[in-house]
Amino acid sequence: MVKQNTILKNIVFVLLLVLLLGFVLLPFITMLSSSFKPDTEQAVFPPTVLPENPTLEHYKGVLNPEIFPFLMYFKNSLIVAFLSAGIGIVISIFGSYSFARLEYTGRAAIQRGVLLVYMFGGVLLVVPLFQMITKLGLFDTRTSLIITYIVQTLPVSLYMLGNYFRTIPKSIEEAAIIDGCSRLEVIYRIVIPLSAPAIVSVFIYAFMIAWNEYLFASVFINSSSLRTLPIGLNQLFYTQHYIWGRMMAASVLTAIPVIILFLSIERFITSGLTFGGVKE
Amino acid sequence: MQIKTDRDARLGYWLILPTVIAISGLIFYPIFYNLWLSLQEVNMNPVQPNTFVGLKHFADVLTDGDFWGSFKTSLIFTSTTVVGTTLLGLGTALLLNRDFPGRSIIRGVILLPYVTPVISAVFGWKYLFDPVFGMANYFMVDVLHFLPQHINWIESPAYAIYAVIIFNVWKNFPFAFLMILAELQSISANLYEAAEVDGASTWQQFKHITLPQLKFVIGALVILRTIWNFYKFSEVYLLSSSVNVLPVYIYEQAFANYNFGQAAAISAILFVFVLGFIMFYVRKVLEW
Repeated sequence: MVKQNTILKNIVFVLLLVLLLGFVLLPFITMLSSSFKPDTEQAVFPPTVLPENPTLEHYKGVLNPEIFPFLMYFKNSLIVAFLSAGIGIVISIFGSYSFARLEYTGRAAIQRGVLLVYMFGGVLLVVPLFQMITKLGLFDTRTSLIITYIVQTLPVSLYMLGNYFRTIPKSIEEAAIIDGCSRLEVIYRIVIPLSAPAIVSVFIYAFMIAWNEYLFASVFINSSSLRTLPIGLNQLFYTQHYIWGRMMAASVLTAIPVIILFLSIERFITSGLTFGGVKE
Repeated sequence: MQIKTDRDARLGYWLILPTVIAISGLIFYPIFYNLWLSLQEVNMNPVQPNTFVGLKHFADVLTDGDFWGSFKTSLIFTSTTVVGTTLLGLGTALLLNRDFPGRSIIRGVILLPYVTPVISAVFGWKYLFDPVFGMANYFMVDVLHFLPQHINWIESPAYAIYAVIIFNVWKNFPFAFLMILAELQSISANLYEAAEVDGASTWQQFKHITLPQLKFVIGALVILRTIWNFYKFSEVYLLSSSVNVLPVYIYEQAFANYNFGQAAAISAILFVFVLGFIMFYVRKVLEW
């Protein structure tokens, strides 16, 4: 009796798991399979799951600069994401060390101020920031996006790094100070090397946010030569390049770097120490 | 260490200074600037001066049927997606809170929707929702016969909201799942063993052990998701521009109609509403 019960339970479990994975993976499967389907197979009804005659023509099309400037958009996204994550990580290493280890009047107030940022979504900032960016002469420059992304990711980076810095035993830092290191030397000789996994993860997190961002990029950038991937791909959808296979190939190529980066830091991000600080 | 305190304090200020400058300049200043803009007729050319119009935009917005329609859409979108992501996240966490082969791989797979770039995920779903050959219509109409005829999920305003809700739940439930799973794993197995000895059923164990333990994390998830989804733009707009939630309405007022003053006023109203919700929720529901 007991055994039958367990078998039944296991069947229900597997069934639910299959349903769940189906829901999660269906869009990915569709995306991958149609990126390999020739044009004639795209609009077949009833829809097919796997391509009958797989082809690489869409990937070749996407990667051919004469057909579609995917590589240029990719490069633009890379520059913007790399610089904003890089500058952001430097600012947040200093900032979170200041929060985690140094005592001064007003520290708690500043920390609360940073937390307040969680209450403002990008959409509340887009109108005033657009006006400011234009007045500063930064409209249609990468700088406008880089500074915006730095600030958008700062609160999370400060939170994650601050948490990590607090786990480093104070005694190690104190010993170094007694040996004659200055605080700044402590930061770059001890804190940074010991926090390398956290720093890499926070960098990747900020990189992903910048890579995915659509709202600001669609408003601050005008020239097609500066467009990032989300803007470029969305426009592709509304032009004569609107070919399902090519759209899907472009989507796959946009997602792959982010998914690889995420998998490389999954263990750290999901440890709970950090995920609690995520902001959208 | 005493002698160093003054120097430490000074260093503390220097190290936090870039953060303070960046956040005040690009978050707090714009919020106040936005309030000021909402009182102006903003010139389309940002170099030209604006005209002060007082509360005109607020009066216009609050008497505008389009605004209230958009407000209603936002309420429907946010409430359904908050409930959807939390429940699906809870269900998934309960399902996977056990040992089985391949568990960590499956956990990683479930997180994929949350980390995939919106633009990629959107195209996958647009294909599924295609009115002619999409999987969604095929299953709902031709296989299961839930609906009499093929539906234009993406472009018809009546149905696009469903597509947007499904997409948002799909994209965001992994976050709830992960947070709840972490909390579940921190519950001591002894509690369940003791309950079993006392003859408690699975449902009673869930109600009296699991749920109270999850109260805090679920409370936090609901408030975060509510704030985030009220402000959600790209996940809605990129899938279907015909779902007119408030962020989309603001975007179109500002960057399609160039009515920046009005857009600023709507942003201010949205913010006040979200703030009011947070205060109500924290006091009455979370009882903090």
